Amino acid sequence: MAYRTHLMVCTGTACVSCGAFNIKKLLEEEIKKQKLDKEILVVGTGCQGFCAQGPIVVVQPDDIFYQLLSPEDIPFLVEEHFLKGRPVKKMMYTPPGEKIQIPTVSEIGFFSKQRLIALRNKGLIDAEKIDDYIGRDGYNALIKVLTSMSSEDIIKEIKNSGLRGRGGGGFPTGLKWDICKNSKGEPKYIICNADEGDPGAYMDRSIVESDPHAVIEGMLIGAKAIGAQQGFVYIRTEYPLAIHRLEVAIEQAQEYGLLGKDILGKGFDFDLEIKQGAGAFVCGEETSLIHSIEGISPEPSQRPPFPAESGLWGKPTNINNVETWANVPRIILRGADWFAGIGTEKSKGTKVFSLVGKINNTGLVEVPMGITLKEIIYDIGGGVPGGKKFKGVQIGGPSGGVVPASLIDLPVDYEKLTEVGSMMGSGGMVVVDEDTCMVDLARYFLEFTSDESCGKCASCREGSSAMLEILTRITEGKGKEGDIEFLEELGYAIKDASQCGLGQTLPNPVLSTIDNFRDEYEAHIKNKKCPAHVCKALISFHIDPDKCTGCTVCAIKCPADAISGNRKEPHIIDQDKCIKCGICYTVCKFDSVKVE
Amino acid sequence: MGNKKVGSVLVVGAGIAGIQSSLDLANSGFKVYLLEQTPAIGGVMAQLDKTFPTNDCAMCIVSPKLVDCGRHPNIEIITNAELGKVVGEAGNFKVVVKKKPRYVDEDKCTGCAACTQNCPVSIALYPVEKIYIKLKDEDLRRVKPILEKYRDQKGNLLPILQQINKEFRYLPEDILRYVSDELNVHLADIYNIVTFYNAFNLEPRGKHIVTVCIGTACHVQGAPGLIEALEDELGIKVGETSKDMSFTLETARCFGCCGLAPVITVNEDVHGKLKRADIPRIVKHYKSMEEKQDA
Amino acid sequence: MPKLNIKDLEEIRKKVRKAALLREGISNAKITVHMGTCGIAAGARPIMNALIKIVEESGRDDVIVTTSGCAGLCSREPMATVELKGETPVKYGDLTEDKIKKIFSEHVLKGKIVEEYALVIGSEREP
Repeated sequence: MAYRTHLMVCTGTACVSCGAFNIKKLLEEEIKKQKLDKEILVVGTGCQGFCAQGPIVVVQPDDIFYQLLSPEDIPFLVEEHFLKGRPVKKMMYTPPGEKIQIPTVSEIGFFSKQRLIALRNKGLIDAEKIDDYIGRDGYNALIKVLTSMSSEDIIKEIKNSGLRGRGGGGFPTGLKWDICKNSKGEPKYIICNADEGDPGAYMDRSIVESDPHAVIEGMLIGAKAIGAQQGFVYIRTEYPLAIHRLEVAIEQAQEYGLLGKDILGKGFDFDLEIKQGAGAFVCGEETSLIHSIEGISPEPSQRPPFPAESGLWGKPTNINNVETWANVPRIILRGADWFAGIGTEKSKGTKVFSLVGKINNTGLVEVPMGITLKEIIYDIGGGVPGGKKFKGVQIGGPSGGVVPASLIDLPVDYEKLTEVGSMMGSGGMVVVDEDTCMVDLARYFLEFTSDESCGKCASCREGSSAMLEILTRITEGKGKEGDIEFLEELGYAIKDASQCGLGQTLPNPVLSTIDNFRDEYEAHIKNKKCPAHVCKALISFHIDPDKCTGCTVCAIKCPADAISGNRKEPHIIDQDKCIKCGICYTVCKFDSVKVE
Repeated sequence: MGNKKVGSVLVVGAGIAGIQSSLDLANSGFKVYLLEQTPAIGGVMAQLDKTFPTNDCAMCIVSPKLVDCGRHPNIEIITNAELGKVVGEAGNFKVVVKKKPRYVDEDKCTGCAACTQNCPVSIALYPVEKIYIKLKDEDLRRVKPILEKYRDQKGNLLPILQQINKEFRYLPEDILRYVSDELNVHLADIYNIVTFYNAFNLEPRGKHIVTVCIGTACHVQGAPGLIEALEDELGIKVGETSKDMSFTLETARCFGCCGLAPVITVNEDVHGKLKRADIPRIVKHYKSMEEKQDA
Repeated sequence: MPKLNIKDLEEIRKKVRKAALLREGISNAKITVHMGTCGIAAGARPIMNALIKIVEESGRDDVIVTTSGCAGLCSREPMATVELKGETPVKYGDLTEDKIKKIFSEHVLKGKIVEEYALVIGSEREP
């Protein structure tokens, strides 16, 4: 049966938590009620990226974008648009600060500036239907490598494309494959690293949820190039939906004979297994990940030998990140030159970033390398909400650094980010505004890394706790002269003395915030003030008696009973009782609560 | 006898007693031969966690002595060897020592341990001690299928522990002991894995598990305030369970719902874009759900 | 399910290609059936269903059938607009199942406008 209209309901994790499954069910019921079920198909897709606006439904082929849907909207929507053919304006997207809705996906700045390779199927296929993937050129690249390419051809193609590891390090993928292929030892293994531990980054989850077969096809191609017959996907246990979709995808591929023995009758064997992580950040490090799969204590080990020479169970092993694998089929299909034509001199292709924090359009964006931060933050992200001042963007999670507002014209690629003391990392972009305290942010990351340090190297284990202690002291208003210099010295020592990537990069958030926001550190230490009004020990709340109308809202909401005052008279905050929770500040309608 | 020390002493067995005797003798001027049957000195105490009755840390006591013993100029350690024949009388013994081969060139080996790590066959120096835990029938019924499913797989410990954690919502001690027995894995190794990962719990948890995301996006959008509010509202701190076993408060690093920051989950339900003031309402919702079920 | 060979895979691809193209919004021809309340009352729904069937039978996978609201000329309902890629849209009125069949085979497949049924050539909107 052919359907005239397809309703693409986003069922990525973020939309599901806003009730997308319920919306999908209601749509189906309502469409049936209106007897449209032979004309209109409801499809559940993976994450479409615009997570802030969920639940999302895109109407194809008309390309109409509905957002922030609630169950009550559905009967009206179905009747108006699908029965009577009148698109419903009030459920469409309105850019912040504007009044006119934008009906179609291609006109919304968030989508139109993106260039999709790894996420090309997002919102267009049902992730749990292999046929949908096949219909979008799926497994064509596999046919190409099985019928007309030798493993040398494949590696050459990947090398020429300039594809680099998308997990953070940026190591050339083709070279990695070549080393593994030429290593002695049988069998060889390949692994997909889906242990996305960076807080604030979720592109790998999204790719697995929306297009799991692209990862499987990429791995099949890699396996053919390297000569591996067994692969593993190591995925975070915190991503149940992604695990489920991957399981379904593997099952379907096995049923079609795209995994298993004698794939497509071409005498090539390869199978795939899922291994679940258990919530340890360090397991994203490749040697540690391998130990975790082996079932032993997942501490990183010294490299060399690199996994390409001696990895899983001592055999040559190739590990790539989810996004890297998802790029592979497109490169094979469209050619290295096409891919190398996108991006900058040393960084080719596109990169998926998760744009989160103090930004209007939170979500997942795929952009060509070399795009400026300004384009990402303003054209795609729609700027900082509430008219606040943009302060910087933290890129690369706990291993990365903060790029300050002054560098907003910086083109984003591996080298440029490293130059300014940040790094690509897995692609988490956390936008911060004037209300974010940089010392507190650095302390936050150190809290994370000192907690996740596996404890093998003293420099990382003790160094991170020492840095955390100093930073905590500074945020509590007990900073001393010389703390900043000591933090810097300690940071460089930890970088030099640690064995794995976690330790080598953990001082980055501190060092880059000291570099770019030294005045904030100094304000904390010398003036005992937190300019962003975040660090509790350094702020106090006061009520402006001229503005207070005595509405009593703050006094009612105060959890510590610290606010007193008679109705219709200015209230007052008892500083001894105040726990500085900030509730009075948020609930006051007259702007009378001041922070100092 | 005068004060002049002559001759040498043979100490048999390099446990804590043998080591201490050797050190005392060597310090008072005797040449000591320390004989040990296994390939390394230290004996049982080196395998213990605490010692009776003072609960002192065993390794803290024994390890300095191991080091002293190893570098004492008057002590010669002969490991991997057995006592053969002893002839003679006090003051003049002749001893035959049977030394077992190590199959490595002892002069060249630096003890880097690379060979042991890469050896495909593992031999337990001290075989796992079977404790034969008797589980309740009901527990056994729940654990058995999990063990059987993974028993023959390589690297099966992690998935087994994950399944048990899911099944029981935490890892009960007697079940871990049972797993240790069944798989022939040291309890210490299991403990190592369990404490390494965040996903495992060694304490029973409440009916509603409230998890606050403290990923970066949630942090900058106000997750710390949510934690405070939840601690207030539930009367427990992060990592604790309420006395009536109804709530457990935890934190997690990023659910990947950064678009909805700040986010908390209560069991499977996700609550996003929260403000501090929303917390009492949410807690109340689950509390009243509880009461309804009770009634 | 038996294992696939390359030919089987291509078969599947052909079968689902249409849905994929539809979702991408890639098409060479777009037929809009006007389905306001008046259109539906005048019988736009059977026209719509017939049209879907015709398109499917033709095997063309680059033709999109979609709906819109009332076109404003209620007296001539049911109506439809045919828009070939790169050409001006043409509105047809007073449709029946036979008429839409002819419009499809002449206009959409052969590119010849069926003038006897055509109401307007060109769009009323600003280009």
